[in-house]
Order: sequence, then C-alpha cells, then structure tokens
Amino acid sequence: MNPRHIRLLIWKEFTQLRRDPLLLRLLFLMPVLMLVMLGYVVGADVKNLKTAVVDLDHSATSRALVASFEASGYFRIVRHPNDERALRGLLDHGDVVVALVVPEGTERRLRAGRSTELGVVVDGSDSRTASTASGYSAQIVSAFNRRRIEATGVKLQAPGIDARVRVLYNPGLRMVDTMIPSLIAYILLISTMSIMSQSVVRERERGTLEQMFVTPISRGEYLIGKTVPYMLTSIVQMVTVAIVGRLWFGVPFNGSPAVVLSGLFLFMITAVGLGLLISLVSRTRTQAQQTVMFIMIPSMVLSGFIFPIESMPAEIVPLTYLIPLRYAVVVMRSTFAKGSGFDDLAFQLVAMALFAVAIFGVAVARFSKRLAD
Amino acid sequence: MGQAATVGDAATPRERVSSAPSSDMAISVRGLTKRFGTFTAVDAIDFDVRRGEVFGFLGPNGAGKTTAIRMLTGTIAPTAGSALVLGDDVIAKPEKVKRRIGYMSQKFALFEDMTVDENLRFYAGVYDVSGAEFAARRRYILRMADLEGREDELTANLSVGWKQRLALGAATIHEPELLFLDEPTSGVDPVARRHFWDLLYDLADDGVTLFVTTHYMDEANHCHRLGFMYAGRLIAQGSPTEVRAAYAPDGATAGTLPSIEDVFVHLVTAHRDRQEDGA
Repeated sequence: MNPRHIRLLIWKEFTQLRRDPLLLRLLFLMPVLMLVMLGYVVGADVKNLKTAVVDLDHSATSRALVASFEASGYFRIVRHPNDERALRGLLDHGDVVVALVVPEGTERRLRAGRSTELGVVVDGSDSRTASTASGYSAQIVSAFNRRRIEATGVKLQAPGIDARVRVLYNPGLRMVDTMIPSLIAYILLISTMSIMSQSVVRERERGTLEQMFVTPISRGEYLIGKTVPYMLTSIVQMVTVAIVGRLWFGVPFNGSPAVVLSGLFLFMITAVGLGLLISLVSRTRTQAQQTVMFIMIPSMVLSGFIFPIESMPAEIVPLTYLIPLRYAVVVMRSTFAKGSGFDDLAFQLVAMALFAVAIFGVAVARFSKRLAD
Repeated sequence: MGQAATVGDAATPRERVSSAPSSDMAISVRGLTKRFGTFTAVDAIDFDVRRGEVFGFLGPNGAGKTTAIRMLTGTIAPTAGSALVLGDDVIAKPEKVKRRIGYMSQKFALFEDMTVDENLRFYAGVYDVSGAEFAARRRYILRMADLEGREDELTANLSVGWKQRLALGAATIHEPELLFLDEPTSGVDPVARRHFWDLLYDLADDGVTLFVTTHYMDEANHCHRLGFMYAGRLIAQGSPTEVRAAYAPDGATAGTLPSIEDVFVHLVTAHRDRQEDGA
C-alpha cells in the first residue's frame, strides 16, 4: 500500500467527477428531490380531508358534533347537502372523500338516554386516507361522548373501558419524522451503489482498468482509491439530507451520534460492496443501472422504509430479513425518535456488520479473482 | 498436437531455444500455458525476445496473443510454465516487473475526461516519476506527441493519431526497458501509422525492447523477429526473412520469397487443416 498512489487515485476520481456535470448534478439533486418528494408528499400527514356533512337533525348537538370534526384539523367541511342521496355524486366525483350523516332525531334520542348512530362514509379508493379518516372519526366521536357525559354531571358507576392512546416518541405522529431518518439510509444505498458501479464499469469499458493493472498500482490501492471518493460524496449527501431534515422539516434528533454513525458506517460498507458486485456482473453502464434498479425495488418495498413490515403478509416477512436496508431503517428511526442506544439496537447492528463483512468480502474477493483471470 | 509448435524450428536458431533462460533476454518463456476452465487460451508456448529487439507477435483474433501479453505483464497468473521478464520471474515478482515495463493497448487507456497534462501527471504518479524527472519527461513527450500548447485540452477532443501518441507517451513516461504494444495501430490511418512506427524505432534505437502485436502484415516487416500464434500455440518464429525463406517454394531466390502475409495465410490454413484431420 503506497499512500501516494491512493492519493493519486482519489485525485483522479475527483477530477473525473468534476468533469461529469450530469453525474455531479445527479449526486446533489437526487437527495434534494427525494427529500422534497418524501418530506412533502409521502411523508405528508392526512389532513384537511374534504368532507360533506348531511345534518338531518338540525340541533345544537348535531352542530357541536360537526364543529368538533372541523376543529380537529383533519376534516375540512366543504359541502352541506340537504339529502343523503347527493353524497354518492360528490364522492364519485372526488369532490369530497369523507361524508358525515347525522340522522334525524339524534339529539332527541341522546336526551332520552338512548344510543344513536352517526354515519361516516369514507372513500376507500385510497386505503391510507380511508383508514386514517375512520380512525380519526372514531377518536373524535369518543371524545365527544366523553365531554357530553361529563357535562351532564352524571357520575357513571361503571365508566367502562376508555382507551386513551398515548403515542410515545413521535407524539405528533408526523410521518416526516420517521421518513427523513430512513431516507438518509436509502440515499446512501442508492447513490453509493449506482456511482460506484458506474465508475468501475466505465473504466472497464474504456480500457483504463486493464491499463491500471499493468502498472505498479496494486489491487488494494485501486480499491481504496476507487471507494474512498464515493464514500466521501455519500457522506456529503447524507449530511445534506440530515441538515435539511433537521432545519427545514424540523425532524427531532434524540439519539446518540455514535450509534447513528456506526450504523451508517456499516451500511456504507455494504453499499460499496453491492456497488462493486454490480460492476462485476454488468458489462455496460446501462446494465449496471438496471441492476441497481433491480436491487432498489425490493429494498424500498421490503425494508419497511415506506410500507410497514408489520402489515406485510406472514409469508413475506422472513424475506425482509435479507434486505440490508431493513436494519438501517430501524437504526435510523429508533435513534432519531427514541434515542435508542447500542444495547437496544444490538440485533440490527450485528446483522448489519454481518452483511457488511459478507457482501464487501465477497465483492473484494470476486473483484480480485475477476482481475486475475 | 503438441508437436505443432515446432513447425517454425527450422527458422529459429537452435541454440536460442535450447539455452537456459538468461538475463540478456528481455523475455524468456517456457511452457507458458493459460487455461480458462476447459478452454486453453495459451498452450505451452516457448520463446525468447532479446534485449533491444522489436518482436512482432502475429496471429488472428482469438489466437491467444492478448492473453499471453497479460501473463507477461503480470496482470494474470499463468496456469503452467515460466516467464522471465527483464530477468525477473513475472509470476513470483509481478510488482518488480511492472515498474520496469510499459504497456499500451489498442484502447489507448487514456482518461478521456482528463486533460493531456492530467493524464501525464497521473501516469507519472503511478510509476513514481518524481518532480524534476517528470518535468523533463513531460516536455519530451509533449514534443514527441506534437501536443505542445495543447496541455490543457481534454483528451476526448484529440483525434486518433494524437491520442495514440499521447498514449505512447503515457506508457513510456517512466522510461521502461520493455514496452508491450497490443495492436497499437488498429483504427489509425496509414500516415499516422507510419509516423507512429518512426516513434517506435526511436524507442528501439534508445535500446527499448518492443513487443508488438499487430494485424497489419506490412508492420510485421518492421520487426526484427516474429512469432506466429494460432489457436493458443506458437506455430512459427524467426526473423521476417527466415520465416519467408522457410515457407518459400523450392528454388525461390531472395527476390521471389513469399510475403509475410502469404506465410501467415499458409501457416494458418495448414494448421487449421491439420487440426481438422486430427479431430
């Protein structure tokens, strides 16, 4: 290992990177684009659902009930049709996604101490919106009931079970707070894999790789000279995402930097290893890019990054353990939201270390073997 | 089948083949073999290249020329056999050999997105050519490649002839004693080819040993000695005149010897027929 050779290779890599405006733009635009997409679109909480209200009761109670829906912030009442039959058209056209129907006699029945029903119609074409809307409605109604009973001064002998859900760690249930920490890991994976594989395949296409091994540059020097620059660019990307997430999206960070950095370091080794493996199986840069896509899709879907693993079919869940991003997502989320330490994340960190050693080890071994043949 | 390698023996001075490898040889190869799985790319070849010689390595595509070069440059390990390059065992000490040889391929292997100067600086660093020495080499190479004043141009913008000369400069920046050239002139126009060979002769005059593979038979005549590769085997070797005389019809005089191209075609067809008979 000659440090001067390694410095030279790093200088060469950065000189080439500087001359590749497309790659450079991709490197820095991609994190920003993903931040905006995931921060504003995917991470956006379900709020201001367009709601129609059919109040057939026209009573103080019905008005108070509707007002508490509106006050929650989740529902925005945009229509007041007089008839239930008008709702179908409104839902069909997407004018509203939720409809509330307060039946005639609601107040009278409640006064008489009898129970009554509130109709909540939800557009199920977007299942996430639908489930959120029905969940919120149930909460609002139960809160409304509680207040009403307390207001009458009636002391219930047996108040029954009153579930009061308290959300730990992310009390606002802000999607963006869990999205951005995992995004750091995701960007690390996608960009390291693609840039790493692109730059090796390009050298093979042009014959400079072949030339390199006729010179006194050793394989180890070449590997270090090739991976270090892209590790550095990944670090810059991750820091960008972390800063924008913290300052712009106000994502709280409650964890220990040491835990986050250990997790990311192990994950970076894995990503570099995957990039090298891709460069070995791809003959052209297009093939390399397609292989990256081939890895990205299962990583995105099966890691819990976007879809919760808990809601996956039982047969699929074992597969998720094969996805390195899965562990990185847990590490990032837990440290950011809960401040989890090394003890709490021991399983994830050990798994990531195993992946790093296995994938990077195989990549380096295959890489040297390939060059030897 | 193994005997086929001796066809050219008549044209090869016997003492050279039978003598033990010695250090006044730039290259000395015995039984060099490379197998990829069941495919034998290079099949037990023996040859020597003397120091200061221009050795032409001929053969059709897929004959094993490039594989042989890759073994001689220490890039890949042979399956069997020995190879002394500049007196050192290239299998045991590839790093030592690599410092003293140069290599230039048909792809030129320049970094297209780097400037002329950056390419030279890079290869100088690779071979640990120090500051003062580099300044002198750089001046020499820029003049040789006719690139003075174009140091800051991107290599991608140079036309083929200039790229080729720059690649030669980069490959010789450390003043190697032995230079391997793998089809260095393919895709280059005849004028540039002629110019390039002048540069190679300059190197040879300075005592650099050249090991050149080529498709162009006219270029074979530029070489002091030739080796013909076919299907992984070295089927003939000798000086151009020796090779031509060995395959001349009876009674041919110096003026009526067959051309290298005729010999080449003759050798390749004869071997192909023999292989088909054997199969």
